[in-house]
Amino acid sequence: MKKALSPSFKQLKNYLYLLPALALAYLFSYRPFVKTLLNSLSIVNFSGNIVEFVGLENFINLFKDRNFQISLINTFKFAVMFIPLDVAFCLFAALLVYRKRRLTAFNETLFMLPMAVAMSSAALVFKAIFNPTIGVINYVFRLSIQWFDDPKWAMLTVVLLGVWMAIGLDFLLLLGALRSVPQQLIESAQLEGAGSVATFFKIQLPLISPTLLFVISTRLRDSMLLGGPVMVMTSGGPQRSTQTLVYQMYVEGFVANNYSKGSAISVVVFALTFFLILFAFRFEKRGVFYQ
Amino acid sequence: MRKKNVYKTVVATLLGLVVLFPIYYAFVASFFSLRDFTSPIPLLFPPQFSFHNYVRALTESLLPRFMVNSFIVSFFASLVRMGVAVLAAFSVVFFRFRGRNFLFFVIIATMMLPGDALIIENYLTVSRMGLLDTYAGIMSVYLLAPVQLFMLRQGFKTIPLTYREVAAVDGCSDIRFLWSVVLPLSKSIVMTLWLHSFVTMWNLYLWPLLVTNKTHMRTVQVGITMLGYAESLDYGPTFAAVSLLIAPSLLIFLLLRKGIVAGITKGTIVG
Amino acid sequence: MKYIRTTISILLISMIVGFSLTAKGQAEKSSQSTHVEFWHSNSGLLGDAMNHLVREFNDTIGKENNIVVEAVYQGMAADVATKLRASLQSGRASTLPDLAQLDATGVMDVRDSSFMVSVEKLIDQDPSYSLAELQPGTVLSMTYKGEMIGMPFNASTILLYYNKDAFREAGLDPNKPPKTLDDLASYAQKLVKYSADGKKVEQYGYMGVPTSYELVSWIGQQNHLSYLTDFNNGHDGNPTHVLFDSEGTLANFLNKWRAVYNSGGLSNSTSDVRQQFIVQKTAMFSTSTSSLSTILDSVDGRFEVGVGYFPMVDEHATGGVNIGGGALFVFDNNNDPGKKATWEFLKYLVSPEVQLYWHQQTGYFPVANRTYELEEFTQHIEKNPLFKVAIDQLHDSNPEVQSVWWPNGYQVYYEIQNSIIEMLEKNKPTSEVVTYLSETINRFMDEYNRMNK
Repeated sequence: MKKALSPSFKQLKNYLYLLPALALAYLFSYRPFVKTLLNSLSIVNFSGNIVEFVGLENFINLFKDRNFQISLINTFKFAVMFIPLDVAFCLFAALLVYRKRRLTAFNETLFMLPMAVAMSSAALVFKAIFNPTIGVINYVFRLSIQWFDDPKWAMLTVVLLGVWMAIGLDFLLLLGALRSVPQQLIESAQLEGAGSVATFFKIQLPLISPTLLFVISTRLRDSMLLGGPVMVMTSGGPQRSTQTLVYQMYVEGFVANNYSKGSAISVVVFALTFFLILFAFRFEKRGVFYQ
Repeated sequence: MRKKNVYKTVVATLLGLVVLFPIYYAFVASFFSLRDFTSPIPLLFPPQFSFHNYVRALTESLLPRFMVNSFIVSFFASLVRMGVAVLAAFSVVFFRFRGRNFLFFVIIATMMLPGDALIIENYLTVSRMGLLDTYAGIMSVYLLAPVQLFMLRQGFKTIPLTYREVAAVDGCSDIRFLWSVVLPLSKSIVMTLWLHSFVTMWNLYLWPLLVTNKTHMRTVQVGITMLGYAESLDYGPTFAAVSLLIAPSLLIFLLLRKGIVAGITKGTIVG
Repeated sequence: MKYIRTTISILLISMIVGFSLTAKGQAEKSSQSTHVEFWHSNSGLLGDAMNHLVREFNDTIGKENNIVVEAVYQGMAADVATKLRASLQSGRASTLPDLAQLDATGVMDVRDSSFMVSVEKLIDQDPSYSLAELQPGTVLSMTYKGEMIGMPFNASTILLYYNKDAFREAGLDPNKPPKTLDDLASYAQKLVKYSADGKKVEQYGYMGVPTSYELVSWIGQQNHLSYLTDFNNGHDGNPTHVLFDSEGTLANFLNKWRAVYNSGGLSNSTSDVRQQFIVQKTAMFSTSTSSLSTILDSVDGRFEVGVGYFPMVDEHATGGVNIGGGALFVFDNNNDPGKKATWEFLKYLVSPEVQLYWHQQTGYFPVANRTYELEEFTQHIEKNPLFKVAIDQLHDSNPEVQSVWWPNGYQVYYEIQNSIIEMLEKNKPTSEVVTYLSETINRFMDEYNRMNK
């Protein structure tokens, strides 16, 4: 039975479907964003209310703060170590395995396994493996590095954890990209006498570049947001050598209850990721289209 | 050429085993006793297969409760997430109204605002609503998934608008159309996104950590780091817990591997 | 659709299960008895002792007065503080416990809160109890603006632990632990042991990096009494600036500490130092008296454990050590009107016999004066001379050496630790370190005071 609905009710109904999404977007994205911005420009008290407006003072103090400078440097340090390692490993693995041979499915599965393991579980395992006294790493490689006590080495454990967790997805993406390179191109290049290195650089690399760039920009963004692994494995130590922006934001906001400073750091993190998300978005669109 | 292939496979397998190692170690270490952990030479294989650590992890700590918490949160959150996204995508594709594209853009644009950067304010919001230490509080910030909304819209768009017109002539209401036509036709994408939502919720760490203080409300990813064994070098129960956590997800992963791979390469699931 | 029904039924079942499970974890509240919720941070041996005490109370005084105490282990002291803060922030009184065990860092959040019920007020209401029952140093340690706000319960001081066998091996008298930091330097030098090839250190003389925890004593004891900040180390109000720079106390300490480092026997390791002492990677270290029973248990006779007074900075640093550990705070949470039931439990926990038991099981020293007069106490001390050392140290200390209540405790802890490591390993001048720490801590206090005008 068709009801005769008045046009205005019908119009309202349309918006109703969007209402939950809009309400959530407002409540948990837009409103907090504006509030964070306002908080970063004011002094905020213990209950989260603004006490007085101080303009850019928080930011000026923030950039002068040695602690913050360390977080900033560490965050970039992580990115600079993590991304090349991740890309190199995944690319290498994908190159070994993209042509279907006998054990390919098995190899593929092995590389994809980290996808099934959540961050905190992986961090706990890594913590034990890198334990200087009872961990396997020091034993197998005959080292005596104090992984969690030595500021020179602690960051590497976080990087390795990050790479391990990223392998599952990034390997898959690069594998897919490599496999979508038409075989004829490679064969004709080889017929013309090109070695595998030349083939890689002249043919495969350019053709997988959108995916490669997508991976790099996504991981760059993830690097700016690194917080979880630090919290579980190193707590920012030793001597702040693994303290990242998000970790400091957590400490300032939730341990020291300094909401003004925490918000200022949030704004910095946001600015960094915003530009990187834009970057990734452009390549994701192209990546989807490519398939 | 043949030889090269063999090399490649061998190297790939070795690398693969290196990648496997942490998982292997977690399982192996779950059988270690305190003495095994403090042995001068780190062991790589359990000297005994006692399930003592598993018993301890399950009975001494709140691990089972943590798992139930995670399950409840993941299940309901993914359900609501899909609901919100489906309704929104549906209206944007099949209805015509003023501001349709603008509002859609407004919702999608939230992708640009990473949750982790807003975590302080979101915490204060949830705290003021009295939702700390509740399932609702944990789920709250994740009920909107702009990427999935986008994907759903793409998926729904493949359904010709003529279907809607034909159905309307037959007196089909919007809801009925959604339920009986759109969803069945989009089954694969909806199920994939639902599963992806579930997994995302299950793996969350930072937000549940902040929003829950009472130990019995912790989700499993957070709880597993707080089993109370930090006092000694007795990591056994912790590894038993990790193994209990990893095992099902590994199994599910292995079973659904083909589907997951297809989903990722098609671009449906990213990250 | 075929699966509508199944989906709905799954939904319903999950909801039912979910809601019934949310009910789990909350104690059975009988309408007759008063329920007292107690958040604490005691685990391991300490946790066992606490559970025993709660059980005993519930079975005796609790039964008589219809009180049921539920003790909830909430993690370490910092975790209890975090959870408490969250409840305080949300402004919802019902989420607060009746009683919570907090240490110095947690006090900052509660001392000005309207939800806190000052323990001295509860004592005033009970004619059968008075402040005189408590050890004076412990009372002072919990006094804010002249009133004792928390009930000292697990009182400890810092103690020097050493390996008597290692002393003997190095030709040192195992019954003469180092008295001053100068002694510490020379002892450490003699105790350090290298591997056969001389490259690795097998055993350090002393291990650990001083943080706010140690400095409270090492600065507080100088010139018989010194303060780290104004306002009586924060006990009379919010501190506004540090005093350890202008009074030279920090510089004095740092110079002495540098000498210990230069002896070659000091390790700057910060993780698991207690564990490393147990596996004999270091011959000496300092930690709370509350670790005594755990350490004796873990060492299990592998070597002879000795304890000594915390080394003095110099001969003028006669203030001794400060009383740390934790105290119990009461909250107004719309339960237990007048906090009468909570007070009964509190009185029980600081009664002489209970304090004796607590001391024996843990190593915390009794806060009740009358415990020291008990026959069993004298016997216990005779049989366990190690426990006696901590108590003697306490009696020889100036009770006015105060713990410090300043904001950003967590960050200050790491700032001090990191600065000292840097000073030693990069050979920075003492004045630079003092300036940095005073500027940093002053800034924290400034920000805090601005935020909470």
